[in-house]
Amino acid sequence: MKYVGKKIITMCLTLILVSFLVFLCFTVIPGDPALAKLGTEATPERVEALRKEMGLDRPFMVRYGDWLYSFVKGDMGESYSYGLPVKEMLADKVPITVTMSVMSILIIVAVSIPLGLYTAKHEGSVTDRVIYALNQVVMAVPAFFAGILITLLFGIVLKLFTPGGYISYNQSVAGFLGYMIFPSIAIALPKISMTVKLLRSGLIGEKKLDYTRTAYSRGNNTKGVLYKHVLKNAMLPIITFLGMTFTDIIAGSIIVEQVFGIPGMGRILLTSISNRDYPVVMAIIVCLAAAVIIINGLVDLVYQWIDPRIRLEGES
Amino acid sequence: MKRKKNFNLIIGTVLTGLMLLLIVTGLFFLPYDPETMDIELKFAGMSPAHPFGCDNYGRDVFTRVMVGARTTLLVALGTVGIGAGAGILIGAFTGYFGGWVDEVVMRIIDALFAFPSILLALVVISLLGNGKLGVISLLLGSGKYQVILALGIAFIPSFARVVRSEYLKQREMDYVKNARIMGCGHLRIMFVHILPNIMPVLIPTVMIGFNNAVLSEAGMSYLGIGVQPPDASLGRMLSEAQTYLFSQPSYALFPGLTIVLLVLGFSLLADGLEER
Amino acid sequence: MKKKHLKALLMIVLSLALTLTACSGKRQGESTESQITIGIPQDVEDSLDPHKAVAAGTEEVFFNMFEGLVKPDSDGNLNPAVASDYKVSEDEKIYTFTLREGVKFHDGSLVTVEDVKYSIERCADTSEGGPLVAAFSNIVSVNATDDKTIEIVLAEPDADFLASMDTAIIPASNTTPESVAIGTGPYKFVSHAPQESFVMEKFDEYWGEAAHIDKVTLKVCANTDSIVMNLNGGSIDMFSRLTATQVSQLNNNFEVLEGTMNLVQALYLNNGVEPFNNEKVRQALCYAIDKQYILDMTSDGHGTPVGTSMFPAFGKYYMPELADYYTKDVEKAKALLKEAGYPEGFSFTIKVPSNYTPHIETTQVIAEELKAINVDAKIELIEWETWLSDVYSGRKFEGTVIGLDASSLTASSMLLRFNSDSSKNFINYSNPEYDAAYARAVGTTNQEERTAAFKECQQILTETAANVYIQDMAEFVAINKKYAGYEFYPLYVQDYSKLYIVGEE
Repeated sequence: MKYVGKKIITMCLTLILVSFLVFLCFTVIPGDPALAKLGTEATPERVEALRKEMGLDRPFMVRYGDWLYSFVKGDMGESYSYGLPVKEMLADKVPITVTMSVMSILIIVAVSIPLGLYTAKHEGSVTDRVIYALNQVVMAVPAFFAGILITLLFGIVLKLFTPGGYISYNQSVAGFLGYMIFPSIAIALPKISMTVKLLRSGLIGEKKLDYTRTAYSRGNNTKGVLYKHVLKNAMLPIITFLGMTFTDIIAGSIIVEQVFGIPGMGRILLTSISNRDYPVVMAIIVCLAAAVIIINGLVDLVYQWIDPRIRLEGES
Repeated sequence: MKRKKNFNLIIGTVLTGLMLLLIVTGLFFLPYDPETMDIELKFAGMSPAHPFGCDNYGRDVFTRVMVGARTTLLVALGTVGIGAGAGILIGAFTGYFGGWVDEVVMRIIDALFAFPSILLALVVISLLGNGKLGVISLLLGSGKYQVILALGIAFIPSFARVVRSEYLKQREMDYVKNARIMGCGHLRIMFVHILPNIMPVLIPTVMIGFNNAVLSEAGMSYLGIGVQPPDASLGRMLSEAQTYLFSQPSYALFPGLTIVLLVLGFSLLADGLEER
Repeated sequence: MKKKHLKALLMIVLSLALTLTACSGKRQGESTESQITIGIPQDVEDSLDPHKAVAAGTEEVFFNMFEGLVKPDSDGNLNPAVASDYKVSEDEKIYTFTLREGVKFHDGSLVTVEDVKYSIERCADTSEGGPLVAAFSNIVSVNATDDKTIEIVLAEPDADFLASMDTAIIPASNTTPESVAIGTGPYKFVSHAPQESFVMEKFDEYWGEAAHIDKVTLKVCANTDSIVMNLNGGSIDMFSRLTATQVSQLNNNFEVLEGTMNLVQALYLNNGVEPFNNEKVRQALCYAIDKQYILDMTSDGHGTPVGTSMFPAFGKYYMPELADYYTKDVEKAKALLKEAGYPEGFSFTIKVPSNYTPHIETTQVIAEELKAINVDAKIELIEWETWLSDVYSGRKFEGTVIGLDASSLTASSMLLRFNSDSSKNFINYSNPEYDAAYARAVGTTNQEERTAAFKECQQILTETAANVYIQDMAEFVAINKKYAGYEFYPLYVQDYSKLYIVGEE
């Protein structure tokens, strides 16, 4: 329990560090939110007045402290460009990104585990080799290009969905989920390849270990051994990998959202960065970072739970 | 038992060799100038004179693929160089010594890990663009390859993590304790004794990192923060070509295929080496 | 066994996702209302307050929701709108407007002189560091002389003042204009989901010719490369500001209309830094570049070459002859460089906003053409906001390729910025002769003298090669053949009220 407590404290510290870094970034990169909002019609006086209204004339540490204080209180501020509360804006976008991430993870798990088991069982067979080759090729395709190819194939040729025809979940949940399948596939594809590869080599490695041979000698059939003993042990690296994948998915969603025209967190993040809309950027990054850190923390816990041999990081 | 042929190694070597041949040849000889435009050749199709056709400015795509592959390779090598170099240093020190420095550095690494690489890239690019880090821009050729530094920094955390966890394991091993007793210095133990021992873990990480760097370069170019025009890189060519995907699919095909072959060759090579 | 588990897991998570999203789900009712989905390249990244909105993308949408006392039409004329009539005093200092009878706001209330007074005074207010509408700094007072007449008194005569009277009239009773949009336009606001969609509905009590289509949904297509797919795939019915390349890839469901963007695309040079403070160097660059070649290379020859800071839509002010002032002549360019003291050429950097592909393409061709005179132009792509702060506001650049448009159809909106003391003079152009000609133009009430003086300004810009002028870019509008009625405006606006469904009209 002490371990969990310590973990939570470090998580919070990391989050604060992330938020500070983001805040710091914006003082470094050129571009002024007031100027960005006023555009080419800006006069120096109006820019000055708007800067004051946005509170940008205060020193850096004061602004950061102020932001942190209100954030902890649950107030994320107001978007500079839209004049809307950030919380409201994000509440609309979170379900989109969450759905996409969950769908991708589901696709990865649903496809790669059977494939991994199959290839490990039939190591060296023709199917194994074909799957291996396919995997290698899929991993070599850049994410946005895969997105375009999927759009071409499923959207233009097979007409399974309308390219760019994103349907909001407010309009139709079924339509929304139907549209999200394809971007999720685009995200999942390269990860499937890696998971299959990892699982296969993990399973093959475990197969050669003593306990597996013992299990066989006790008269178990192949299937039983594979499922009961080997899979459980080979799952360890997969869980770590899936944890890391989640981070990748969140980062990767920025590009995939762009290709498929999905107005999710990635799109908002991208435009807010270029609009220098700090309140929105800060809120999104801190939320994403929180998700990443929490998932990594959970992975660590699950890891220990599965394999008690692993020494607790905090005790080393 | 007859030794099975290592197909991965063979195919990987052949592909990587071909790519290197293409790139090295490009250093000494190019069929055309990669930047000269010719309106007559705008979107010229494939022909013996222009085997991959021409792009929207009438530039020879084959020439640009040769130059672009070189840029991409350079970006990937640079990225892995920076990422692995700094990652090994950070990972070695934190893993070996532990303590509060380790705690602090690992929190920063965690934070970087959770940080969108695009924002990081923007920061690096605008820093270099403003000439605030003039020396580095000079080294990298007037800010042409800012993307290397941006990606390099983004790659540090993953390397640092892997290296750190290995050092954590290794420092408890007998050979390290023996070395301590024999009076070896910390630096010597870290880099002469331990480093060779973590190579089996480090090499695949570097190989995967290399492939990720190639793919990330393409992604950055897609978002418009990669290599600057008129320089060619495979990612930049691919993202420029997607505008013409319907009218001129071959323009996207060749840079795309080259990326796939480059990454494929390298990962097969990596697998082949592991198998051996 | 395991497979079953997986299936169950899949079902659980799917249903979870379903319930999660269903919470805020609304069923879309079946309806017979006519509607159109239009793609827009950037979101309406502003609040709903028309006076504070500045982004061009916002203004073109708000044109359909808000109106001023006068309103521009597609020929560039200013027609009475919320006012039914107006009078200008002899000395051009007093503008008198008569309120149109029975004009209603979207909330159903009638427009009163108080609302007009409120709207104009709000924009003339200087408490936020200057008036919201620049021309309003000239206003002395706004008086409601009776319940349908409003009189605006100016300090100085201003012949162009009427053009700024398209400022939106909003109700004085609306205390939160940034989140509640109430105007008098043919469309009223329904909803806005950031980066997703902006929905408007026909206003049934509109005073003028009512809109034809009941519901207009604007859909943000941030990724320019997928616009063609979206159009061909049918997810949007119309998109304006397409490039020639995109048009060539459309299927035959679309009618393509060609207009101009109404802006001046040029290689703007920082006249305040070496070597561009030398007129000969600037002229050399002009001689090194073939405008038509750029057009042929980047847009299959579409677009109108221009030679000064003015575009054809300006009619009487525009001087087409200046477009051919410099014709490509590499030898002459080299000779000029030699005279200027750069016999070996030089190198400089062109900064280009990374989000405007047409400008990037033009820059690449320019850089290539400049190689012929040994000028090495490096290209640096920067973000639009960096461009605003570094190039436009900070004036830290050597050259930049950009298109400058007019905020209103007045010659001064294009030419004011080249005055040596203008805060918008980001190219640091400084020429007493120009300042004098400009002062003469705005100082007179005589139409002919004005036109002549503005033409002189343009002539000076061309002769001194203030910038390397390129073109007014071609604009293509693709509209699904189910719809028709699109009209080009000489301003950066989109008029959705004229659109109709073919066969229903």
